[in-house]
Amino acid sequence: MQDIIQLNIADFLVNLHSEFPVELESGYFPFISNPEIGKADVDIYSFIGIPENPFYNYQLVFEAENAEQKFYSIYKSNNELRFIMYDQQNVNQVQQIAYLNADFSEWKIYNRLEPDIKPMPLKYPMGPIMMHYLTQKCGAVMMHASNVYDGEKGRIFTGFSGNGKSTMSKIWADAGNLVINDDRVIIRRNEDGYFVYNTPMFYQDVPKKAPLHAIYLISHAPANKIKKLAGALAVSRVMAFCIQNNFEKQLIQNHLNFFGTMCHEIPVFDLGFVPDAGVIDCILKHGI
Amino acid sequence: MDLKTIYSNKPKFVVREIGEELILVPLTGNVAKMNEMFTMNETGKFIWENINETTTVEELEKAVTDEFSIDPETAKNDIELFLIQLVTKLKI
Repeated sequence: MQDIIQLNIADFLVNLHSEFPVELESGYFPFISNPEIGKADVDIYSFIGIPENPFYNYQLVFEAENAEQKFYSIYKSNNELRFIMYDQQNVNQVQQIAYLNADFSEWKIYNRLEPDIKPMPLKYPMGPIMMHYLTQKCGAVMMHASNVYDGEKGRIFTGFSGNGKSTMSKIWADAGNLVINDDRVIIRRNEDGYFVYNTPMFYQDVPKKAPLHAIYLISHAPANKIKKLAGALAVSRVMAFCIQNNFEKQLIQNHLNFFGTMCHEIPVFDLGFVPDAGVIDCILKHGI
Repeated sequence: MDLKTIYSNKPKFVVREIGEELILVPLTGNVAKMNEMFTMNETGKFIWENINETTTVEELEKAVTDEFSIDPETAKNDIELFLIQLVTKLKI
């Protein structure tokens, strides 16, 4: 393996090794770091060509698909996982086969040979899947959420698609606050508390990080209304928006433990909101 | 109500205790249905934890009556309702 590209995502180090030149989606460019001495959190080895019969003795355990197309499938044998990643521009065409070892520290990604095109080992959906297992390995979580930081407090806004995550981000941005991301974030805990990070997206944005002080479950409403949630209800409501393809108990238990502790330490609110700046006043007055 | 069936389905759930409550995440065909996870209050948690291989409904009623200092009739009704909801939600 010749070249190493190192990515720093949410303060995790990802080393991408390849004998051949590879290409990254442009959203990864700001996350490229100068390779540091020391062990990466995950090593990715990129190859060209799809291996023959990669799922011999492996059992299908998970499929991500909708009515239109497949995203990826997961096979398992002896705690090792193998993935089929499907090309999102060519329905149901295999883009990559990927192998993940038992402790989630090493990927082998076999890219479909395409003449005159450099392989893109982290091409969607491979990149987010890699990040998901990185968070699982390292005791963090990835969530569908927007996150804003006003210089003192960091707030997460999460909810179903269409409930206003991007709208909420824009309201806070228009009021001069920093948007960490409006769709997908990684949450980590260290000795100083919980921190939220953005991740590489389909567009370029610099790596960002903010402390976390409150979580809001949002929906559109005729008037701004905040209600604090607690206990198991708060945990289950927040956890529903974590990114996961959990097909075995230990992975789910990891998430339950993370969210159980986080929702005990970070207040969770139900927030019905009107999409204008008034919601900021409402949060500052009645929330956190 | 077949408590043995409920007991035999317990391993199909990932459980986390939150204070006096429980969160249950079902695994169906080894795939967790995160949008179908649900919570149990203190009484539900007590009943869930007291369902074992040989438990009878009568034993549950006595345990609930003793634990929560309620009359046997109320305990019986609460348990019946809880078990019906449990079987419906757990789809077992």
